[in-house]
Amino acid sequence: MGQVLRDIFSFGDRPFIERIVLFVFIAVGLIFPWLVESAYGRAVMIKFLLIALFGLGWNLIGGYGGQVDLGQAKNVGFGAYATALMMLHWHTPFWLTVPVGMFFATAESFAVAYPMFRLRGHYFAIATLCVALVWKELFVFWDWTGGARGVEISIRPAPNFTYMQFGEVGYHYFIFGLFMAQFLFMNWFRKSKLGYQLQAVRDNEDAATSLGTNVTGTKVKAYCITAALGAVGGSFMTVYYLYIDPDLVMPLDLSILIAMTVMVGGAGSIWGPMIGAAALIPLDMYLGAWLAGTGHYGIDFIIYGFIIMIIAAYEPKGIWGIIQKMSRRA
Amino acid sequence: MEIATQLVTYGILMGCIFAFVSLGLSLIFGVMNIVNFAHGEFMMVGMYVTFLISSYLRLDPLVSLPFAGALGFLLGMISYRFLITHILRGPMVAQLFGTFGLMLFLRYLVMFIFGPDVRTISHGLLVGKTISFGWISLDASKVITAGACVLFFGFIYWMINRTKLGRALRATSLDTEAARYMGIDTERMNALAWGIGGATVGVAGGLLAHFYYVTPTVGMLFILIAFATVALGGFGSITGAFLAGIIIGLIQGLGGHYLSELKFTFIYAAYFLTVVLRPRGLFGW
Repeated sequence: MGQVLRDIFSFGDRPFIERIVLFVFIAVGLIFPWLVESAYGRAVMIKFLLIALFGLGWNLIGGYGGQVDLGQAKNVGFGAYATALMMLHWHTPFWLTVPVGMFFATAESFAVAYPMFRLRGHYFAIATLCVALVWKELFVFWDWTGGARGVEISIRPAPNFTYMQFGEVGYHYFIFGLFMAQFLFMNWFRKSKLGYQLQAVRDNEDAATSLGTNVTGTKVKAYCITAALGAVGGSFMTVYYLYIDPDLVMPLDLSILIAMTVMVGGAGSIWGPMIGAAALIPLDMYLGAWLAGTGHYGIDFIIYGFIIMIIAAYEPKGIWGIIQKMSRRA
Repeated sequence: MEIATQLVTYGILMGCIFAFVSLGLSLIFGVMNIVNFAHGEFMMVGMYVTFLISSYLRLDPLVSLPFAGALGFLLGMISYRFLITHILRGPMVAQLFGTFGLMLFLRYLVMFIFGPDVRTISHGLLVGKTISFGWISLDASKVITAGACVLFFGFIYWMINRTKLGRALRATSLDTEAARYMGIDTERMNALAWGIGGATVGVAGGLLAHFYYVTPTVGMLFILIAFATVALGGFGSITGAFLAGIIIGLIQGLGGHYLSELKFTFIYAAYFLTVVLRPRGLFGW
């Protein structure tokens, strides 16, 4: 138990600086609603935390596992739909719907994982993409889930902890809490037995096998945990937007954005998702607001695409890789 | 019976079109073992070339085909020179994301310039015409596209198997190192594979624009179909890609008739089943 606690709060590379950064981050997160009064600024912060949260989950399979999964949005969708449908049909309290969403995401991932992990590299990436798109088409097709019309959640008049509906400040602390919980979980996970096995599998499958690691089993476990982590964020999206449809919670663009966030920030680093989301989301929201009136679309993705190409060509370890190189030189 | 014949004919026609789109992808993968996510965007650029030439210069869309092909060729060469050579040095993940970034860049550049509107080509020698064979009537532009597809496949097949250039390409694909020792300029071969891949898909896009909606996001759908096609045929196999395209066309045509909302699910499922059950594809080595 003591070891677990120590692992949660300890960092590898530069323990002192990293702890200070974490402390500053928590402090800023806690006082943020006082720092920024505008609703727009708060919305940007919530979006940042949400995408960083998704990035943390994806980093498990994509960063520590080295498996490019381009279908994380399906897990987000499972979480979102579990919450939305249970609230709509049975008025289930929020915190009971979260485990259900996690369960469905995990079960589905487990079901497709074994055939999927017979594939590697490009084949695996395209297969994850296909599976996610199939699920999206099924959700559009299926009437019980609201089809393409989506699901609307009834709005409660007062802040409500059963159904987790509040004002912006409430949502900020809600997502901040979820983010910190997943961040600390990931910080523990990467030093757990499974975490080390996963990184060994990523670095050299043959060596990992010869040391007694079950390669496929490790990947499958990681894939299932990633799915569960993604579903949590999906549940949050339902109560935050109060309306979901397959285009909001399961689009390909979301899968891409999640993977891209981590790649830009630095895959396989605990700080990567945070850095990536900090680089991409404010830019995205700012450009979106700026260009909304001009009738031009897509400049955010032009810039994303450009950044991705540069990173892939020159620094595959992302911004974190650049930081590491600079700190080694200093 | 009539419906069945009509469906099968339509499926084969669409299959030729899918095969046409997949040809360049298969070629690039065969020569250098890299999957080009931006392939659908090359096609989309070809569609826009045709659309622009036909609607602004008021020329017949068929006239635009050489331009679509040439731009595709240039796009392929430039992508290879400025992006692919760099990402080839990195890990597999970087390769995947590199072409992915190129895909986003091209798609949204076109969207930024021309807007997200859906456009169609309204006039031209083939647009809206039908050809009747007995009681089967077919879209003339689709028939011509299918014909062009057969021509291009024949040409590429001949080039790969019968010419000196094709031999050099095959040598590069089998063993780059050894090919370089034999005096083959492998860099040029790779660039050429990208250029030819881009050119074929540019022409395919130009023909597709005759009867398909022109939008900046059209590439995604076709790239997934092309992945499924190439996987089914066996990555790198030219004949495989052709036959697999027709199979995919039939799946999509028949599936689309009976369960139209899920017609693409069948294609994705076909990809998934192929790569899991028979990873080298139906005709791969």
